[in-house]
Amino acid sequence: MTTQEQLNSIFCMVFDDADISIRPDMTANDVDGWDSLSHVNLIIAVEGRFGIRFSQKELLTFKNVGDLLNCIDKKLSER
Amino acid sequence: MMDQNANIASYCTSVELHGAGKIAYYWLHQPSERQEVSFADLDADTNRFANALSQLGFTAGDVFFTFLPKLPEQFIAFLGSLKLQLITGTLFANFGEEALLDRLGDSRAKGVITKKSFVKKLSRIRPSLPALEYIIVVDCDDHIADDILSYDRLMQQSTSDFIVPYTPPDTPSVLHYTSGSTGKPKGVLHCHRSLASQQATAVEVLGLRAGDIYWCTADQGWVTGTSYGIIAPWSLGITQIHYGGGFDAAVWFSILEREMVSVWYTAPTALRMLMREDPELFRRFDLSRLRHICSVGEPLNPEVIRWGREVLGKDIFDTWFQTETGAIMIANRPGIEIRPGSMGKPVTGIEAEILDDAGNFLPPGEQGHLCVKAGWASMFTTYLNNAESYRSKFRSDWYYSGDTALMDDEGYFWFKGRSDDVINTAGHLVSPFEVESALLEIPEVAESGVIAAPDELLFEKVVAFVHLKTGVQCSAELELKIRLYVSNKVSTIATPQEIIITDSIPKNKSGKIMRRVLKARYLGSDAGDTSTLEI
Repeated sequence: MTTQEQLNSIFCMVFDDADISIRPDMTANDVDGWDSLSHVNLIIAVEGRFGIRFSQKELLTFKNVGDLLNCIDKKLSER
Repeated sequence: MMDQNANIASYCTSVELHGAGKIAYYWLHQPSERQEVSFADLDADTNRFANALSQLGFTAGDVFFTFLPKLPEQFIAFLGSLKLQLITGTLFANFGEEALLDRLGDSRAKGVITKKSFVKKLSRIRPSLPALEYIIVVDCDDHIADDILSYDRLMQQSTSDFIVPYTPPDTPSVLHYTSGSTGKPKGVLHCHRSLASQQATAVEVLGLRAGDIYWCTADQGWVTGTSYGIIAPWSLGITQIHYGGGFDAAVWFSILEREMVSVWYTAPTALRMLMREDPELFRRFDLSRLRHICSVGEPLNPEVIRWGREVLGKDIFDTWFQTETGAIMIANRPGIEIRPGSMGKPVTGIEAEILDDAGNFLPPGEQGHLCVKAGWASMFTTYLNNAESYRSKFRSDWYYSGDTALMDDEGYFWFKGRSDDVINTAGHLVSPFEVESALLEIPEVAESGVIAAPDELLFEKVVAFVHLKTGVQCSAELELKIRLYVSNKVSTIATPQEIIITDSIPKNKSGKIMRRVLKARYLGSDAGDTSTLEI
């Protein structure tokens, strides 16, 4: 399973919608229910599933799904 | 104004009053994508929607809900439904199944308009909603089933000619559900005469006047989003900005600048988030057109007012009202000196007092119940299916708001807290009972108690004390499961910001959760009288 596929399954779980299909250019405005509070759920879920931790600085740089994906891949490659 | 026909939607879409070509709103789906909608467009589209509902068999007094994020279809459906004299409610797009079931079930809603991605959520609870006849979907080209219909198809098949039936002022209009500390959420019902209070306060407090460009950032699921994001400004012919995106400081300020917003109505949480930004960000923007900023939802702390003066060079005026009041009751406003941290003074025609439990007037400086003399135009007319709760809110012609406050020697009111356990998080009222009920549905949870705790950004945050079943170990996975369960069953707003695993939940001898004991435990303060404590 690719990182994007794993991340997609997390999105489906967090936003309770099995039909979500993420793209790198997607932002919070493209996913129903992606608000600041569900974003916290998303980050906790991502950290738990991949076994990584994001710094506050990193969290502020995420402008879209692609940024999140890149950061996950970078952290996985550094392990 | 209202001697002929009091229908709110008629005033909001009147081409005669506002001019066919006048812009009703600029719709910004993305910050850079701008669509103009005139009052003629708004009138025609809302007429079409009223006709569509009429053809489906909706009649006056039926209940219809919008369950949408901020979208033009929401305004059209809301006003079209009101034109047909339906009782029209709005649901937050982040509501989960339990929250939807409570509201759609209690109101016996006959129809709801939503997005395709939310249909599954509705379908899961539909067997428990026998009164729900139609789901209208805004983002599908064709009907999905006989009772799941395409908005576009319905609109194509309907004409733009609709004569709004004579609507007496006491005709039921808008329905919002509000949370209490016990029991299910209550349906706060208003009637069409509420327009008088909403218009008057939009002029007196928000200072709206001809030529203004007005931006109310509130979601339409909230009473502010309907009273001051739809009804008041459009009934006055004011051009609005509606933005479909979320919070982003730079985007918001680019909208204020580019759209030449003159009056901005927002919330303390948003302002406190802006305060965290580098002040240099704001200096990039020309806000010379911005004349007036108001805030609503939770008390506006003095630091925000100071920040507004220093960084924006503007005063920020705090306002107070509730779902039940339908319109602003107490406010800071031009012409009255701002006392930072104060709610301001009652608006014209409103009598507010601080009363004790027995209904006695308390002197200045003494804390008590914040009460409003009954009889204002936008006063709610009942809690749907719950007349007893409605009656309990009034004593000797005074409405007990559930907030506690004091009045100073000069007539300024100062918010002190709630007289119940309701949590005000980012301006949204969350019922601890609703969250506790959801938590109990999680197999690993034995019992729970939910409280409000102070929070710098949200004003209050939801904190859940959770007692796990024997043999269940706390883990990061379980904590995530709890968060997601509450998010998806109740709403993201209700998601506990802190989950505290505990050995037991304190209850009194009749089994009532003693939230004040949990709160004292959380704050490290004295729990007071615990003589009735069972555990």
